[in-house]
Amino acid sequence: MRHRRIGLSIYAIILVCCFCGLVIALFSYQEPTGQLGAIYLSRAPSETGAANIVTAIYLNYRLYDTLFEILIFSVAVLGVRFYLSDYREKEIVEKIPESQIVRTSADLFFPPIFLIGIYLTLSGHLSPGGGFSGGVVAGTALLLCAVALGANTVGKRFYEPTLRWLEWGVLLVVLSLPLLPIVVGRLPFTGLLPPGTMGKVISGGSIPIYNLLIGIKVFIGTWVIIHYFMRHRGEV
Amino acid sequence: MIVLLVLLSLLPVLAAFALSRRRRFTVIVGMGLFSLILSAVYLLLHAPDVAVTEVAINAALITFIYIIAIRKTGKLVVVSDEIPGLLYREGQQISGLEKEILSGFARQLGLELVIRFLPVEQVPTALQQGEADIGAGGIISEIDDNTVLKTQGYLPTALYHLSKQTKPHPKQEQSTVTGFFSDLREEFQAGKISACTLDLARFVALSRSDLSPYTVRRLDGLFSYVFLVAPAQEQLHHQFVSYLSELEESGELDKLTRRYFS
Repeated sequence: MRHRRIGLSIYAIILVCCFCGLVIALFSYQEPTGQLGAIYLSRAPSETGAANIVTAIYLNYRLYDTLFEILIFSVAVLGVRFYLSDYREKEIVEKIPESQIVRTSADLFFPPIFLIGIYLTLSGHLSPGGGFSGGVVAGTALLLCAVALGANTVGKRFYEPTLRWLEWGVLLVVLSLPLLPIVVGRLPFTGLLPPGTMGKVISGGSIPIYNLLIGIKVFIGTWVIIHYFMRHRGEV
Repeated sequence: MIVLLVLLSLLPVLAAFALSRRRRFTVIVGMGLFSLILSAVYLLLHAPDVAVTEVAINAALITFIYIIAIRKTGKLVVVSDEIPGLLYREGQQISGLEKEILSGFARQLGLELVIRFLPVEQVPTALQQGEADIGAGGIISEIDDNTVLKTQGYLPTALYHLSKQTKPHPKQEQSTVTGFFSDLREEFQAGKISACTLDLARFVALSRSDLSPYTVRRLDGLFSYVFLVAPAQEQLHHQFVSYLSELEESGELDKLTRRYFS
C-alpha cells in the first residue's frame, strides 16, 4: 500500500514535470517559417476554386486523410450497431410524456435546423461548415423529432427501408470517387471538375460533391447512432 | 484578447466542476458547457470550421447520447417488504424513514430510486442474483447472512417474542418472520400464529390490533436496523456506509427518525 502510494507520487511528479516541460517548450517554440501555409494560401484559390481554404485542404490536398476519417466514422457507427444489438430491444416502448412544449418546439425548430444542416453541407467550400458538421446538425434535427414523437415513430418513416442501403452505398461512392480520374487518364485523388470562379455557388471543383456525400453519410450515421441508443437503451 | 483569456481560464474550472460532481446528469451538463466554451475559443482563434463541428458534435450530440446512456444504468433498485414507519405505501406514494434515507442516497448519486416489494426472506436472494442493489425493510443487524453485504446499524431497535403459551418455549424463539408483513398481520388478527419474534417497527404496527392472547417478552441484547447491499456492489456498499455516517453526524438522521417515530 505504502509502496504503491510512493510509486503513484513519483508518477504524478514525472507527469507534472512533463507537462511543465511541454508548456515551456510551447512558449519557446519558434514558429515554423510558414512556407507551407503560405504556399497553400497563395495556390489554393486558383487551384481548387474554394473560398474556404480549410475545406480546400481537407477535401483536395489532404483528401486521403479525410477518406480515412469517414472510414473511422463508419466503423464507429458499426460499433454502436454491433454492441447495442446485444441489448434486447425494449418490448414495451415507454410512452413519451405528452409535453406540449417539446412537441411545439420540435414542429417549430425541425425545419430551420434541418435547413441549416443542408446549408452547412452545401456551402462548405464558401464558408465555415462542410459535410461533417452539416450532417451532424441535420441528424440533431431528427433527434429533436425523435424526442418529441418517439424514436420508433420517426424510425419507421426514416430508417427501416432505404437508409441502410443508402448509407453503405454512399460510403462506397465516397471511397471510389477519388479513383475516378484514372478512367480519364489522370492521377487518382486529383480534381475531376474545373475549379470555377472562387466565391460562386458552383465552384471548388469536386469539393461540393464530396461535401454532399459526406453530409449524407454523416447524417445517416448520426441517425443510426441516435436510433440504436434510443431503441436499445430506452427513450429519453 | 481579454475575452479569450477569460474563456480559456473558464475551461479548467468547468473541467474541475464536471470531474468533481457526483450526480451524473450534472457531470454531463458540465461537459456540454465545457465544449460550448471551447467552441467559442475556437471561434476567437479564427477556426470557425472547428467551432461549428465542436458545437454540433460535442455540445449537442454527445451530450444527448450520454444522457440516454445513463438512463438505464441510472437506477437504484431497492427490494423491501412493506413495513409501517420504515417503508410503506401511502396512497400512490411510498414514504417512511428508510424511503427518505434511500431517496437521499439516490439523489446524491444521481440515480432514480426504484422500489420493489418482496417478502422479507426473498430479499437476500434478489441481492445475490443481482436483481437489486439494496435490500431494506426493517432488517435486523443480527441477521446471520454472509452472502450479502451489510451496512452499519442506522436505528436501534428491539426484538419482541410473542407467544400464546404462558411459558415461553425455548425452541420457538427462533421462529422468524416470513412472507409479506401485510399477510402476517392478517394471520395475527385471525389468531393463526402461535409464536413469533418481531422487531420494534413490526411490533408497534401489530400492537394496534388486539394482542391480549399473547405474552410479550423483550429479548436481551442490542439490535439495530441495517440495510443489505448486493455482494457484487462493493463500491456502492462503501458509498452507502459513508452516506449513512454522514447522515448520522449531521444530525439529519435524528430529524428524520423523529418525524416518523416521535
